[in-house]
Amino acid sequence: MKKRLIKLTLLIFFICLAVTSFAQQQRFPKPEFETGYVQPPTQQPLPRALFLEYLDVIVLIGALILVSWFLLKKRSRQGVLWTSVFSLLYFGFYREGCICAIGSIQNVALAIFDPTYTLPLTALLFFLIPLITALFAGRTFCAGVCPLGAIQDLVAFKPIELPRWLQKVLGLIPYVYLSLAVLYAATRSEFLICRYDPFVGFFRFDGTFQMLLLGGLFLLVGVFVARPYCRFFCPYGVLLGWMSSFSKKHVTITPSTCIQCKLCSNSCPFGAIEEPLLEEGKRRSNVNRLMTYLILIPIWMGIGGLSGSMLHGTLAKFNKTVYLAEMLVQNPDIRFNQENIDARTFMQKGKTMDELVVDAQKIKSQFYWGGWIAGAFMGLVVGLVLVNLSSYRRRNDYEPDRTNCLSCGRCVDYCPVK
Amino acid sequence: MMTINDKKHLARGLAWFGAIFSLVVSVMLIANYFQLKSVDPLESPALKVLVEQLHENPHDDVLKENIRALDLMIRKAYFTSQWQIRTGTWMLILGVLVLILSIRWQKSLRNELDELESIDKNPFLDKQLARKGVIYTALGIFMLALLSGFLSGNILDQYDSTKGQDQEADSAVEIIVAKPVEQNSETIADSSKSVSMQEKTSDEIVEVPINEELDKKEEIESKSEEVKKIKSEPTVPSREQIRKNYPFFRGPDGDGMSYKTGVPKSFDGPNVKNVLWKASVPKHGYNSPIIWNDRLFLTGADSEARMVYCFDKNSGKLLWESAADNIPGSPAKMPKVTEDTGLAASTMATDGQAVFAIFATGDLIALDFEGKRLWAKNLGVPDNHYGHSSSLVIYKNKLLIQYDTNKGGKLIALSTADGSQKWETTRNVKISWASPVLVNTGTRDEIILTADPLVAGYDPETGKELWTVECMMGEVGPSVAYANGLVYAANEYATMAAIRLGGSPEIIWEEQEYLPEVASPLAANGLLIVATSYGVLACYDAETGDKYWEHEAASGFYASPVYADSNAYAIDMSGKMYVIRMAKEFELVAESNLGEKAFGTPVFSEGKLYLRGVENLYCIGGN
Repeated sequence: MKKRLIKLTLLIFFICLAVTSFAQQQRFPKPEFETGYVQPPTQQPLPRALFLEYLDVIVLIGALILVSWFLLKKRSRQGVLWTSVFSLLYFGFYREGCICAIGSIQNVALAIFDPTYTLPLTALLFFLIPLITALFAGRTFCAGVCPLGAIQDLVAFKPIELPRWLQKVLGLIPYVYLSLAVLYAATRSEFLICRYDPFVGFFRFDGTFQMLLLGGLFLLVGVFVARPYCRFFCPYGVLLGWMSSFSKKHVTITPSTCIQCKLCSNSCPFGAIEEPLLEEGKRRSNVNRLMTYLILIPIWMGIGGLSGSMLHGTLAKFNKTVYLAEMLVQNPDIRFNQENIDARTFMQKGKTMDELVVDAQKIKSQFYWGGWIAGAFMGLVVGLVLVNLSSYRRRNDYEPDRTNCLSCGRCVDYCPVK
Repeated sequence: MMTINDKKHLARGLAWFGAIFSLVVSVMLIANYFQLKSVDPLESPALKVLVEQLHENPHDDVLKENIRALDLMIRKAYFTSQWQIRTGTWMLILGVLVLILSIRWQKSLRNELDELESIDKNPFLDKQLARKGVIYTALGIFMLALLSGFLSGNILDQYDSTKGQDQEADSAVEIIVAKPVEQNSETIADSSKSVSMQEKTSDEIVEVPINEELDKKEEIESKSEEVKKIKSEPTVPSREQIRKNYPFFRGPDGDGMSYKTGVPKSFDGPNVKNVLWKASVPKHGYNSPIIWNDRLFLTGADSEARMVYCFDKNSGKLLWESAADNIPGSPAKMPKVTEDTGLAASTMATDGQAVFAIFATGDLIALDFEGKRLWAKNLGVPDNHYGHSSSLVIYKNKLLIQYDTNKGGKLIALSTADGSQKWETTRNVKISWASPVLVNTGTRDEIILTADPLVAGYDPETGKELWTVECMMGEVGPSVAYANGLVYAANEYATMAAIRLGGSPEIIWEEQEYLPEVASPLAANGLLIVATSYGVLACYDAETGDKYWEHEAASGFYASPVYADSNAYAIDMSGKMYVIRMAKEFELVAESNLGEKAFGTPVFSEGKLYLRGVENLYCIGGN
């Protein structure tokens, strides 16, 4: 009963947090009469000093080394937990969620597709260093360095285990999000990950109502479904998972021989412990199934590519140029509407409709081909997931699923073998 | 010493404290939020009433003080609420933090392991179920994507680029106010006055009675059709067409040459001699009229509105007026300008299909011959301490704008069709008030500009700077004159220089005795005439700079002299017009009095002379 009350209280807190912070977004227009007061020129914050940017990189590296050391050498869940609290304070509340390894995907994608964009060195390092670390030590970044992971980890009071099939289905979302994030960044449309970062509003004590509500909902769900954003949304987690699959020194549950007590499996709130497995069913039919799914991969890619290309018109609507062009083509009178800031800006630029429509068509063409690639990628992911679900690798002990294990160290803590 | 149970109780107590504290703060914050939302200080009825009163009585200082006091009070209340929200947010965060840490502490005090509730697992069946889930989900997503593609049409396909401008023009029809003015011409508005004028001047004044309005309307409509026909032909007017009309400031090339013959030489404004019609211009402006076919255009402006006026050049009837409003970027507050420049000093330009006007606000507007807006834009409010006065000129399909301001100089070419920028050339000059002059040197077309310190020629096609001569200084108002390969630039307190164009343009003579302040020099018949602001007209040899004659007028000249039918026409500020034979010997052909002050240059069309006084527009005919 008391636990329920606490949960209810938490729910109210987060909703309140979201609602009240929204009020801070209001701004005052100028007074309506002449006072002789001259509006001061607009002040723009100076960029962060270079040495402070490098300090961020040093902190990142230090935190990664520390977490890896706690996990691999000391096998200390407490060490990981307190490092994550530090990261939450530093990268979250002090750095206000920026710079961020998750968002750096977009910087890298934009730099690849737009030669005029200069990729900041720190953004590149924030993109690469956690990936390289994952290649050796697993997802230690997720365990103790990512502020988004840390804030969710802190509220995972009563995690429940989700069915495996549901985890697999929801596990497709990060791939979709990754595809879209790269597509929108590559077409210079939007930094999707930053725009829909659910926790940055908390880190900055400021944000739109929707952003704070989204963050509040993630934290609320996170009480019962541990780290929902990390597991079912984070696009960077996809890349870290790939790297971690090949990690040489990934954390092991037990330092010596597994006694198959199953405590680790019951301790993992992420469902990332693989249980001992023996192949079931007929060998031949299992192999046939595997081969069928292997052969189907190109078909999945084709269907995905076609679907992505068909979706390009809808996806392109979120590009500002395409949105404006379509709006003005449908309603030419809007150009003279002073209330419409998009139309007003367009008119001020002195650009013609012809030029606008040509620009919009170019962007739509980019979305068309980008849709093909993103769709084919999703088809490939679906195909590979099915292949993975059709293959059986004999396993005698409880082992961490290297792709999905967030290296939090809970299983290490619970393992009675010391 | 606290036992483990004590610690558990403390943790539980802290958790409850944190929860209740956070709950109370949350409720207060929500209440504050809704209070703030429901009472918008800017929508305060009391403030609105006071502001309304201020609009009616703008000079009531007590009222202003009351508004300020109320506004301050409202703002204080608003910002106090904001402070409460900010502080409350911090308190809420603190409460939540206490709650989280207490729960964490409480959990760590437990002896038992916190295990998840185990669910039944069967790896084989789980994988089978997961495969189905993945397949159905993937197919669902792909099907939705395909469906979305089929259902969403390409809106951009609806856009017809060949109709782009028509669409723009059509769309402007409903928005732009281009109202036909029924009674503005003095001859129409006051028939009795017309009659009295008729009595005084026998048959020289044409009366347009009110009952002829409908006929006139029909006539206008039929003319509109003609204009539309012209508009539908996107051709650049020929040189002959341009010279037949009067499309720019100082004539078809902007150099003071009118290419007109058989024009009136004398009139008497107060006694209505040779005055065919006289029409009042609703708003004041120092710009001169331009004419194309039967239509005469000019602008007027005050702090309330910037207007373009179209008159029937034969009757003096104001056919329509169009406000240059709702232009994106247009300043809400008018720039400070001096009385002798105003907000509408720049003369319009036309290519026979559209008319273009610019104001001291930086607002640029293109209208068709019916007053419908084709496009409009703001070039940025010019930083000009007197007011922008440079007039527009058109070269082929480009509208050329000399935009020399305190923040830098530039020559801008915009598409006459849609206002898009064709090119822009930055000029390393100070602010100027002169206008561009189109010149054909025999080998190429040039647009010639003058400002401190450069007289410069540009390629009107590309904006490329072709040549510069550094000879000018001060606040340059007069535009250049041109004849026979020589450019004449002058400015008061500076110099008058004759520049020979060629491979390397050079100054061939300079003179400083009589220098114009505002009026531009005029070169014709191997002579050069300058009109000074202190009332002296002086004539020089165009090749050598030798002075032939000088003549003192009644008043100073702001209007530039123009050439027509072997004579120079110059009107001084008092409204006296001098027609002087363009010859080495001074010969005053005629001297006339407009009857009101005048600043606009004389304009000629089809044997008639058009003059703009400070109040009225005149059509002079007769001799």
